[in-house]
Amino acid sequence: MQDSDKFDCIIVGGGVAGLSAAYVLAKANLKILLVERGDWTGAKNVSGGVLWGPTAFDIFPALLNDFSADCPYERVITNRRLSFMSETSATTFDFKTDNFYKKPYNGISVLRSRFDKWLGQQVEEAIAESDFAEDSLVATGILVDRLLLEDNKVVGIGAGEDTFSSDCVIIAEGVNSLLTRAVGLQTGFVEAELVGTGIKEVWQFDQDMLEAKFQLEGDKGMSNEFVGCTQGVEGGAFLYTNKDTISLGMVLGLAALREHKKAPYDLLDSFKQHPAIRPILKHGKMVEYSAHVVPVGDIRLVPKKLYMSGAMVVGDAAGLLLNTGKAIEGMNMAMESGRQAAYTVIDAKKRQDYSESFLKSYQERLAETFVLKDMIRFQGAVKFIHNPAMFDRYPLFVNTILERAFTVDGKPKKKMTEILPEIIKEQNLSYWELLSTAVKGGLNL
Amino acid sequence: MSTSVKDRLITVKNNISKKAHIVVKTEICDTRCPHQCTTYVCPAKCFEIIESKMRFQYEDCIECGTCLHACDQGAVSWTFPDSGHGVSFKLG
Repeated sequence: MQDSDKFDCIIVGGGVAGLSAAYVLAKANLKILLVERGDWTGAKNVSGGVLWGPTAFDIFPALLNDFSADCPYERVITNRRLSFMSETSATTFDFKTDNFYKKPYNGISVLRSRFDKWLGQQVEEAIAESDFAEDSLVATGILVDRLLLEDNKVVGIGAGEDTFSSDCVIIAEGVNSLLTRAVGLQTGFVEAELVGTGIKEVWQFDQDMLEAKFQLEGDKGMSNEFVGCTQGVEGGAFLYTNKDTISLGMVLGLAALREHKKAPYDLLDSFKQHPAIRPILKHGKMVEYSAHVVPVGDIRLVPKKLYMSGAMVVGDAAGLLLNTGKAIEGMNMAMESGRQAAYTVIDAKKRQDYSESFLKSYQERLAETFVLKDMIRFQGAVKFIHNPAMFDRYPLFVNTILERAFTVDGKPKKKMTEILPEIIKEQNLSYWELLSTAVKGGLNL
Repeated sequence: MSTSVKDRLITVKNNISKKAHIVVKTEICDTRCPHQCTTYVCPAKCFEIIESKMRFQYEDCIECGTCLHACDQGAVSWTFPDSGHGVSFKLG
């Protein structure tokens, strides 16, 4: 291979992390190759999915445009709901504010096949405006099956009989991180307790009907997370409003699913039968099913070293995800890590130093951003949320209190001071347990 | 409202490769696996016990990675479908 064929950087994977890295690099006038195994960027990509925070808008300023048609995202989340469910009841906290309708938006719902396709177009435009309009490219429909190594340094990629060389590689291959594992940055086998299985159905409605169902105005949207609907399996459900569809699904701890001997689609089916969900689906049509493994936010999934000579790992491949119980942040973390890796490549090119000791600065940069700061700071929340009582006993407790309080049955009524001890006793809870849970929640969330 | 896995999979475009991208050593499942969990954790129901033997088919796979992580017995050899093959989500 001639040196003129060599890229400054090859990015493996056209998800939000890889596309963010590629965009920043193309804008900085580097010669890049992004390789995606799907037929377009987004074709293989799945998420819940709400993209939280300003990172996406910051990296792709065109997202701030006013879109009259062909908006790459679905809705602006101005309504947050959190529901605690028992088998027969649901208690929902409902928060709505137009303060979240200011750019850059606090959260947007996305369908990744569309969203990542648009990001890919942004990368292609950035390439076209760079000095490497003819040399850089986004290549789709190609599976990268190996990293090329020379003296423990990554020098390129292999895809079947083809090889491509580069000064460095950004590995943005997602949570099923075969390349990261093959080069030893991630352990060869990743334990089920560090990941969850997400499954999702997209349901389509007449847009006016959807807006009426959820009291949505214009392009504003609602996100609802649910706990207590998983038959005791660690995890929860979600419902996000898109333009004329909803994303309805569950994320289930994989080790817990294995232990409880539950099938994810059976849990989703019974969730769909719940009196709080069933009427929502009336007049709707299920138009797409999908599933994907997700990191659960445990820092043990994050490789100790996110870099080696000639390579860096970003996004889900690096196990980056934050679940504080308030929001599940994965895509914003992926995009920020992609951007920080790109900044590192830009510096490395200036110095012509792609050694392990220089690429270490990627991890140092990431440690200064919300990505690693929040993940480390909220590890207590990961443990707190994994308390098995969160998935059945506590949501049941909340619903029982309200059902008793709201019951009018023609008998003399009990006061709350009588109802509460009665339920605590019935459900084998203790004041100490409830108090310590409340305190732990306060300290960790 | 309960939907079969088959009906769910109809909604996903899949250009199935002739070559299996996942290979399962089913003799491990049959002889020494204590849970055979892939039969229920796989969202596409690619693993089934038929006549008390584990059967695996890759054709319905939607490339989620569940079996890669759920199998702790070393029975699952997992890769992605060849270039140009496998699922394409129109929404994702």
